[in-house]
Amino acid sequence: MWRGFSHLLKKDFRMMISGKFFLLALLSLCLYSGYINFVYAKLDQKIFPVCLYDPQGRLPDVSEYVTKLDSREALKAACADQYSVGIDLSHAEPEIYMLSCGMETTDHYRMAWGEAILHGNVDGQAERIGANTREMKNRREITAEFLFFELTAVGFLGLASMLFKEKQMGVIRVHGILPVCRGVFILSKLLLLLCSDLVFTILLTVINLGVSEAVEALVGVLLQAGILSLIMALVGFLCAVRLPDFKQFSLFYLILAVFVTTPVFLAGQTGMKWNWIVYHPMYHLFEAMKGAFFLTPMTKAPYYLACAGTIILLFLLSYQTLNREMAKEG
Amino acid sequence: MIEARNLTFSYGKEKQALHGLDFSVEDGEIFGFLGPNGSGKSTTQKILTGILKGYGGRVSLFGEDMQSGHTQAFFQKIGVLFEFPYLYTNLSALDNLHYFASFYPREQRRDAEELLDELEFKKDFLNKPVSSYSKGMRQRVSMARALISNPRLLFLDEPTSGLDPSGAVLFRKIIEKEREKGTTVFLTTHNMLDADLLCDRVAFISNGTIAVLDTPRNLKEKNSNHSIVIDYLYQGRREEQTIEAPDMKAGIPFAYDELISVHSQEPTLEDMFIQYTGRGLS
Repeated sequence: MWRGFSHLLKKDFRMMISGKFFLLALLSLCLYSGYINFVYAKLDQKIFPVCLYDPQGRLPDVSEYVTKLDSREALKAACADQYSVGIDLSHAEPEIYMLSCGMETTDHYRMAWGEAILHGNVDGQAERIGANTREMKNRREITAEFLFFELTAVGFLGLASMLFKEKQMGVIRVHGILPVCRGVFILSKLLLLLCSDLVFTILLTVINLGVSEAVEALVGVLLQAGILSLIMALVGFLCAVRLPDFKQFSLFYLILAVFVTTPVFLAGQTGMKWNWIVYHPMYHLFEAMKGAFFLTPMTKAPYYLACAGTIILLFLLSYQTLNREMAKEG
Repeated sequence: MIEARNLTFSYGKEKQALHGLDFSVEDGEIFGFLGPNGSGKSTTQKILTGILKGYGGRVSLFGEDMQSGHTQAFFQKIGVLFEFPYLYTNLSALDNLHYFASFYPREQRRDAEELLDELEFKKDFLNKPVSSYSKGMRQRVSMARALISNPRLLFLDEPTSGLDPSGAVLFRKIIEKEREKGTTVFLTTHNMLDADLLCDRVAFISNGTIAVLDTPRNLKEKNSNHSIVIDYLYQGRREEQTIEAPDMKAGIPFAYDELISVHSQEPTLEDMFIQYTGRGLS
């Protein structure tokens, strides 16, 4: 069995090279790293502008972040952007005036910032978020997102396109009469894709987090990347063998990308709150990946049991689908 | 070598493909399995090669029941040529053969280059990718793939399809050579010429049942009307007469100046197929 396995591995490796799989992965790595290092790491959210209406001059020493206004109407006009925070000191009780931006969490931060200004409790912008500098927080956040995207969308597409080629050539059927276990045909592809994804993960993490931070996070990150890689590779395998042509596969890919991963990104990265998102399996994988990058690894046993169960189930389904493909007419 | 008893198979509940086939193939025999498209030929071959499971009845190969599972040892003993040349088009002929051969024990493998040479494969193309080959060249590489493991039992599905006449003659020679070596050949085809020239016995399959099983010679003899058509010249005129074969015992029973041709009116294998199955081959 293992003699056959090594030959399958070698052949799949050649197929990946001829399909420019590694070149695409390298390009993705350069693109992601370029964006992280030259754009995202330097990004900082613009501080919420604070406007003050204080006709009695009750707050003589105001912070540099505050803009003084001379009427209630001017305050209302300044806060119409749903971003600025207004403080009205014209009454006995100070009043915070702001229009909701639609996201509860962001509104809460705006209000907290307004109150901090009012109490003179301002030391400037935050320099540390948790245990991270602002830049490191940005780096961890975006690297987790890019890795998740690469493994769910790009890796999935890479394996499926390789398998579609084999399907079109009809060679999958030849493997049905070779003295090699059919499961090994799936395993060699999985192992190769897993290794490729893990190498990609290491490089992306080291390049964008730096060596010492990467070393700290890598064990957890590799574990999550491995789980995600196996699940997505098996889904890609299943779809490529099951779906009759590349058109249908493209449609499925679109559905996966738009309807499956988009809500996960929105729920995980913006203030959007959906109660149902906890039932979305990809959301937990995304959160676990982010947790690993922020050194708060997922420790819940049911999560790992569910992942293991999913991988076994997908493998059995792939095996069954492969047997059916081998018996198909030419 | 092969024994099938009451072999049945259904695709789903309502589509029964095989209705209780009974046949056996002897060691070293070339057995032709003839039938039109959709008659059950490929289904039978897939069951015999271990690709399809869930059949009814009993099938044994190499003296072992197929239900007991297909071990690697079973697959090491068979070679299969599919109807279409399934090859890695990004690899060369040699790379394809080396890859497929690598699954068999070293002592069992044949030399890929020698085999391709025997199949008159153009040497210039040995290291070029299969995507640049003609259909005939791909069929040659596929045949080499089926033979590379020195199989004891060879399944051939339309072996001469896609070949020019000289290629078809070459393939028939190769199949004959395999028989001489003792290889058993299960030939699935609707090419009556291949069946007639190669097979020791043929089975006509139609709608999932075997209509008749015999040697091509017996089939033709049994259904011959034993008449002979003689074309001749007599007193400067060209004439034709049909006589019964026993009338020839004492020579040609009429006067003639010169014989032009003598034709026995034996039916062809295709005529026999239509007679037994009521269907043409397409």
